[in-house]
Amino acid sequence: MPYTAEISRANPSCFLFLIDQSGSMADPFGAGELGRKKADGVADAINRLLQNLVIKCAKEEGVRDYYHIGVIGYGAHVGPAFSGSLAGRELVPISEVGNMPARIEERTKKVDDGAGGLVDQSIRFPIWFDPVANGGTPMCQALGRAQAILQGWLAQHPDCFPPIVINITDGEATDGDPSGAADAIRKLRSNDGEVLLFNVHLSSQRATPIEFPDTEAVLPDQFAKLLFRMSSPLPAYMRSIAQQEGYKVSEGTRGFVFNADIVAVIRFLDIGTRPSDLR
Amino acid sequence: MHVFAQPFWVSKQGNEDSEYEDAFWPRKSVERRTTCFRCAVADGATETSYSGVWANQLVRYWCRNYSAVAFDPDGFRNLQQRWSAIVRRRPLPWYAEEKVRQGAFAAILGLVLYDDIDRESSGRHWQAVAVGDSCLVQMRGEEVLVRFPIADSAAFTNRPHLLSSNPAYTGQVVDHVRNMVGNWQADDAFYLMTDALACWFMRETEEGRTPWRVLRDLNTSDEVKPFREWVETLRTKGVMRNDDVTLLRVDVT
Repeated sequence: MPYTAEISRANPSCFLFLIDQSGSMADPFGAGELGRKKADGVADAINRLLQNLVIKCAKEEGVRDYYHIGVIGYGAHVGPAFSGSLAGRELVPISEVGNMPARIEERTKKVDDGAGGLVDQSIRFPIWFDPVANGGTPMCQALGRAQAILQGWLAQHPDCFPPIVINITDGEATDGDPSGAADAIRKLRSNDGEVLLFNVHLSSQRATPIEFPDTEAVLPDQFAKLLFRMSSPLPAYMRSIAQQEGYKVSEGTRGFVFNADIVAVIRFLDIGTRPSDLR
Repeated sequence: MHVFAQPFWVSKQGNEDSEYEDAFWPRKSVERRTTCFRCAVADGATETSYSGVWANQLVRYWCRNYSAVAFDPDGFRNLQQRWSAIVRRRPLPWYAEEKVRQGAFAAILGLVLYDDIDRESSGRHWQAVAVGDSCLVQMRGEEVLVRFPIADSAAFTNRPHLLSSNPAYTGQVVDHVRNMVGNWQADDAFYLMTDALACWFMRETEEGRTPWRVLRDLNTSDEVKPFREWVETLRTKGVMRNDDVTLLRVDVT
């Protein structure tokens, strides 16, 4: 059965994030985020996700390398988008990610005080990825780069839980039709199944997000339908996670959200990166 | 009563023995005459840090204070504070700090056997407490008398209620503490098992097989394979989940 390989230090998996860094990412989200720039919201979401993944893999002796992580930005340039000492690296073992954030900021978080109340607690918020918004949307190039990176990874890890690619964009590709490049990624496979490609479309308008659709019919335009077709169906274990989170799913459900606000982005990333069998 | 207790354990495949996060008490085989015998197994959650430390604290606590686990608020709070002091002995990197802040989680199953000669009818009795999916089985010959707190292999999920070292979660788990009492007779056997083994045991029973025989024969002249090797075979066949595995076998006469 596919998507059942154990994720372990001996057999790690990988996540690759493709982040649109085009000029329009400096525009605000469409609704409810008080004029927050999309690039800032996405950077926060990615940093929080990386933080959560590191914590998930942390044990008393350090961070266990259950995953290798890559972040590719595409805008004025296409390439690795880590800041700080990881700059220029494509796929990085998660222990190195944990030990080498670009910087650590102090933030405040409300936590349960164990007696029915909330108290402010100062927490360290590591930053690996900074917001950028500049240039066009060379999505085809980014997908091509991802395909090359994963081909190399799969040659070294033929039995791994299939890599998961999450592409976050706010607009149409400016370098051609990305369908072919997306197909090429989805055709890559390990012995445990095909690479999963998920797409997150960010909204600049006041519109309700369409999350985890199972048909094109609910999508408003050709661009949304294109992204839907580029997205992998959710494997069974992920469908059940989505269902537990209250989404209506069927076998046709794809890893895609259209018109996402920041809440939808965070929810999507959480479901799309939750492990099936972490050991 | 005469008690003979023997622990068996193996860490999950791919991990070092030093990474084993189950716990059991007594730590070594014991054979003794007594009127009261306490024992326990616990299973530290993989996703949390220092859960092996926490699991060890829980089994020792159970076996040394019969005031029990979650319902002695002062004792339990002390245990949580001790865990926090142990894990913060040295400076921690940001991710370890966050993990410690979240707390460790563990399942526990504790058993006490009594041979109370002053009580005529129910002198030979036992009490058990469980939080989570570590299980107790009581055998009488070829009959499974008790399966506690889970009796069905389908009921083993990845999200059992667990005891946490984080005081914020203590209130939530109190409702999930399960208690059971029973009687024993000479030559009964008790098996205390962490979840991977317990789940296998329940499934074998449901499918009409006799899983207790292999547990009964471990470390005897009838043993088919040593424990570690036997568990490895079941993992390879895909009939036992790859996890830390612990069995505490208690024979009583």
